[in-house]
Amino acid sequence: MIEFHLDSRSGVAPYMQLIHQVRHALRLGLLRVGDQLPKVKDVAAGLAINPNTVLKAYRELEYEGLAAARPGIGTFVTGTLDGGSLAAHGPLRRDLQRWLSKARRAGLDDESIEALFVSTFRSASEEDIA
Amino acid sequence: MTAVIETEGLGKRYRKLWALADCTLAIPAGHVVGLVGPNGAGKTTLLNLATGMLAPTAGTIEVLSGQPAAGPAQLARVGYLAQDAPVYAGLSVADHLRLGAHLNPGWDAEMARRRIDQLDLDPGQKAGKLSGGQRAQLALTLALGKRPELLILDEPVASLDPLARREFLQDLMEIVAEQQVSVVLSSHLISDLERVCDYVIVLVDSRVRLAGPVDELLATHHLLSGPRRDPATLPDGLEVISASHTEVQSTLLVRTSGPVLDPAWTVSEVGLEDLALAYMKQATGRGHRNRHLEVQK
Amino acid sequence: MTWLTWRQFRAQAITAVAALAAFAILLAVTGPHIARLYATSGITGCHGGTCAGLPSQFLIDLTSGRSFPLLPDGANAYVILYFLSVLVILVAPAIIGIFWGAPLIARELETGTCRLAWNQSITRTRWLTVKLAVTGVAAMAVTEALSLMQAWWAAPIGKAVGLGGSASIMSEGRFGSFVFPTHGITPLGYAAFGFALGVTAGLLIRRAIPAMAVTLAIFAAVQVVTPLWIRPHLIPPNRTIATTEAAQANFFPTGGSTIAVTATRVAGQPGAWITSSGAVNAAGQPVTAPGACASALPHVLGGSGSPKWDNCLASHGIRVVVSYQPVSRYWPLQLTETGLFLALALALAGLCFWQLGRRRS
Repeated sequence: MIEFHLDSRSGVAPYMQLIHQVRHALRLGLLRVGDQLPKVKDVAAGLAINPNTVLKAYRELEYEGLAAARPGIGTFVTGTLDGGSLAAHGPLRRDLQRWLSKARRAGLDDESIEALFVSTFRSASEEDIA
Repeated sequence: MTAVIETEGLGKRYRKLWALADCTLAIPAGHVVGLVGPNGAGKTTLLNLATGMLAPTAGTIEVLSGQPAAGPAQLARVGYLAQDAPVYAGLSVADHLRLGAHLNPGWDAEMARRRIDQLDLDPGQKAGKLSGGQRAQLALTLALGKRPELLILDEPVASLDPLARREFLQDLMEIVAEQQVSVVLSSHLISDLERVCDYVIVLVDSRVRLAGPVDELLATHHLLSGPRRDPATLPDGLEVISASHTEVQSTLLVRTSGPVLDPAWTVSEVGLEDLALAYMKQATGRGHRNRHLEVQK
Repeated sequence: MTWLTWRQFRAQAITAVAALAAFAILLAVTGPHIARLYATSGITGCHGGTCAGLPSQFLIDLTSGRSFPLLPDGANAYVILYFLSVLVILVAPAIIGIFWGAPLIARELETGTCRLAWNQSITRTRWLTVKLAVTGVAAMAVTEALSLMQAWWAAPIGKAVGLGGSASIMSEGRFGSFVFPTHGITPLGYAAFGFALGVTAGLLIRRAIPAMAVTLAIFAAVQVVTPLWIRPHLIPPNRTIATTEAAQANFFPTGGSTIAVTATRVAGQPGAWITSSGAVNAAGQPVTAPGACASALPHVLGGSGSPKWDNCLASHGIRVVVSYQPVSRYWPLQLTETGLFLALALALAGLCFWQLGRRRS
């Protein structure tokens, strides 16, 4: 069973953080179909957050088709993300490794590489929305 | 949804000063309600009115559709934890449970004993020797033992160290998850309440400034920043809560039910603490002459 | 609520029981000697004029000798015991008012535990009712127990004094200002009043220590005022006019040329309690100076009269007017005084309930 944590300074709503952590766990293979998510009571008590927040996150996951609640028993994982683990993206990984070596040869240090990636990623996302 | 506490024009006056004025609320059931405001704002007064320890000077209040402290039946439905968690220093922890059993017909002895065990409290220990956190937990057990529908907590964590504070709130959340109990708790620190409350009431200078579900409040308030602009030129439907200007830039906190479409503004979200603070500043900034009144205990 | 009241009262109850036990043991150990001395004094079964001196003789025997090594010369153990035992009953209501009454509500207000109690499933009225009833009844029981024990111990002394005897401090009859409030049923009234006074002070002042001080002050004042001004008039006293000789009047100079006259006996009313007396002339007006009989004065000042003095006064029509309570009024007075203080206690309790309700507004 996974364990949740909260970053109160991240600016992200607690229920969103819980959803992200479930999705992240699914991607990493820490959660598989059929696993039980932590009980609402335990999450609320462990993190000192309102149980409704946990319920909201679990309901959202249900809506996305990733989990399902079984009354009286708990909430269980019913779906996976993007149909594969990171390992399936071999070609993408190799492309990325090649790009990274190019960036290093161009003289960029770690921070510059990260900044370049993030700003390009963001502007690309905005173009997608617009 | 039924309301746990309903007030209409509720007010309380001590001699010449109004400790609470014009308070109209309908607090829904099934929530953890945070009552927040500076010291002397009227939080304890409101809670005392809800538990029947004070009678209103003006207006009405109904708790669980009954009059506060109207009789044993009404008293049994509301659990109360007073500020600083008073307990009988000379009585042991087990004595306090016996107290609960004798004075409350609906006492759940099994649940109370289980809680004491879980909290690692020694039943033979005199309550006067307990730490602040343990006292708060004992008092909470006493309030819960009669299985109330509503739990009212007056600044329950104000005098606790950070660890005890966290443990108390964890415990409270577990109880809310397990039992069907609505909670109203007050604090002068919003950080205590942010994770725990899903309904908030901001009380400043004896008046309610803001009340509503946290989700809804956060969704309808936005922080706008952009080139310097007079707030009066904003379109209708945008209520400005606070504004600050430099020579070239304006930052506004607005309340609106619709989206903000003007591209000149950068729109960002507001956290609960900043939101409450903005309303508090707005309230005291109006220059009301109402003096802050420390409530008599 | 009864359980909680008892649990909070437990320590005080144990102290009270210990004190009662100590008192009882002390009296039980020393009592038989008094009874034996009385039995051998010859008072019982003696009739006639020769018996007149026996009561005083018994009391003198009791109060002389028998000194313990620890006591200073002249201080007899029984004198001290008598004094202390009466004192204990006299101050018990004040002690109860201070230590049981004042903190009853004041401590709960100070520590905030009242808010814990008032939010259990009982009303404030019931909370106060049980606290007052349980502790109040205990207060009355303890005080009356002390009184009854002392009455048993001092019974022979009371009898001797009633027959006219007197020695040392054992001279007050049943109407005496120390004896009356400590015997019979008056201790019940005082205990209830002292307790209620403490509780009310605690509720109004809201702090235990100042409430204790106020309780002590008011109760002491009441103890002083009652025998002087209240008790004599609880039932209107009888009046009679008699000659100074018949009244066995005492005369005391009171400054200048005035003389105070006090009667010490009412003819035909043995054991009566004389509440006031004074000299009057033939027309019934008060007289303060010896006037025409001044020549007989030097012989009589500071004591009872000589035949010359009495005859002179009588021939001038100067007599003594005496207000008194006959012996038959003892129990009516006891009942009236107890009733008065019980009524005061109930009134104070009512004030407490009213004030408790007022905290809500």
